[in-house]
Amino acid sequence: MAQASPSNPTEPSTSYIDPTFSLVNTSCLDLLLIELVPMAYRITADLAAREDEWIHGPSSKAKQRKLSGASNDASSTAPGTLRGGAGVGTEGGPVGGGTVDEEEAREAVFHRLESVGYRVGLGVVERFSRDAPRPTTPLDSIKFLCKDLWTLLFRKQIDNLKTNHRGIYVLTDNTFKPITRMSFDTKKYDAAVQAALVAQTGDPALGRDANSQARVQPFLYFHAGVIRGCLDSLGIKATVTAECAALPAATFQIRTAGAKN
Amino acid sequence: MTGRVPSIACIGVIGKHNNPLHISLFPAEERAPLEFQFLLSSCLDIFEARLPHKTADQDFGLLQAVDERLAMYGWMTNTGVKFVVVVDMEGRPATALDSKSATAVGLRDADLKPAFRALQTAYIMLLRNAFYSPPIAANIEQRLGSTQITSRNFIREVQRIAGAWYPGVTNI
Repeated sequence: MAQASPSNPTEPSTSYIDPTFSLVNTSCLDLLLIELVPMAYRITADLAAREDEWIHGPSSKAKQRKLSGASNDASSTAPGTLRGGAGVGTEGGPVGGGTVDEEEAREAVFHRLESVGYRVGLGVVERFSRDAPRPTTPLDSIKFLCKDLWTLLFRKQIDNLKTNHRGIYVLTDNTFKPITRMSFDTKKYDAAVQAALVAQTGDPALGRDANSQARVQPFLYFHAGVIRGCLDSLGIKATVTAECAALPAATFQIRTAGAKN
Repeated sequence: MTGRVPSIACIGVIGKHNNPLHISLFPAEERAPLEFQFLLSSCLDIFEARLPHKTADQDFGLLQAVDERLAMYGWMTNTGVKFVVVVDMEGRPATALDSKSATAVGLRDADLKPAFRALQTAYIMLLRNAFYSPPIAANIEQRLGSTQITSRNFIREVQRIAGAWYPGVTNI
């Protein structure tokens, strides 16, 4: 798992030769994510388009669908390709046809990125837990994740770990490294527009913050997958959801199997 | 039986869900695969029984002595992958290079450590390979597909470890 290797040699001296020890610039993960997330959107859009064609057939129904369906297709594929060309700065969320499509696309992208991260998590733990003491309780495993692995992956420890002692853990990182370099168009949502929006809807969470949240979200899917992979490898089955309330903080909620609220 | 020294008879890699990942026999043509599969299965309980007491180390030491010749040694990673090495105490004829003490004294647990470390490194290298997909838990429960490792690099490395090991080796 070269892209997740640490850039600081915190490696303890071992009695054996470790051929897996290598140093990688931390920007690699940033650069990889910039490509990975739009790619997931493109693949999802392509697959959706192909499935659409498969279901409705290319010939007979296509003509009558072209009026209603083409707009749907175009709007679901075009943002993907546009986004790919212009980088991630253009539009974050999928601007699919209906809300159902949008939700479906979001799910598909989530699963794609999450499973990529899951595989990375498996490898990372296999590699870095070989010199760690065996975690005996779930909390031990979570601590190993928060302290050891987080330091290796993101060069800092988790800032806050909360648990209800019934299987739900909330990890908060106030400066989550992979999203520290992100910036947003503040002009579009300056103070006046923001105030107008709030006045209009009565919800201060809308506007600029809502816009940035939706765009950051896909970039956290990968890391949620890494966490799930790590925990699964250590013997904890869990679902992980990632949220970004305000840049550059990120919150990961870990819900282990059989957890109670 | 003079002039014979211990050697590795079998290396088994067992997954987290007790699924067989890899079994190698040495020398392959002289050993019965089924017998060693049984032996490997029989040591799973020993792993489970000792697990609560093993909080610091991954080395499980001697699991069981099967008979006068065969002895099983185990190692379990923090991720639940088990490595089992079966040592044949009279595995190969002694050569001039072998020290006298190797034949006279039994094995110490520490003698197997380098082999296990090398095996673990080989397994980590396997997981670093993007083309290897670890078996999915749901598939194992439903007994879908094989969980055997097919990576040639990994198998070659296991064979190298078995060949390179001798009592008292410090690094493989």
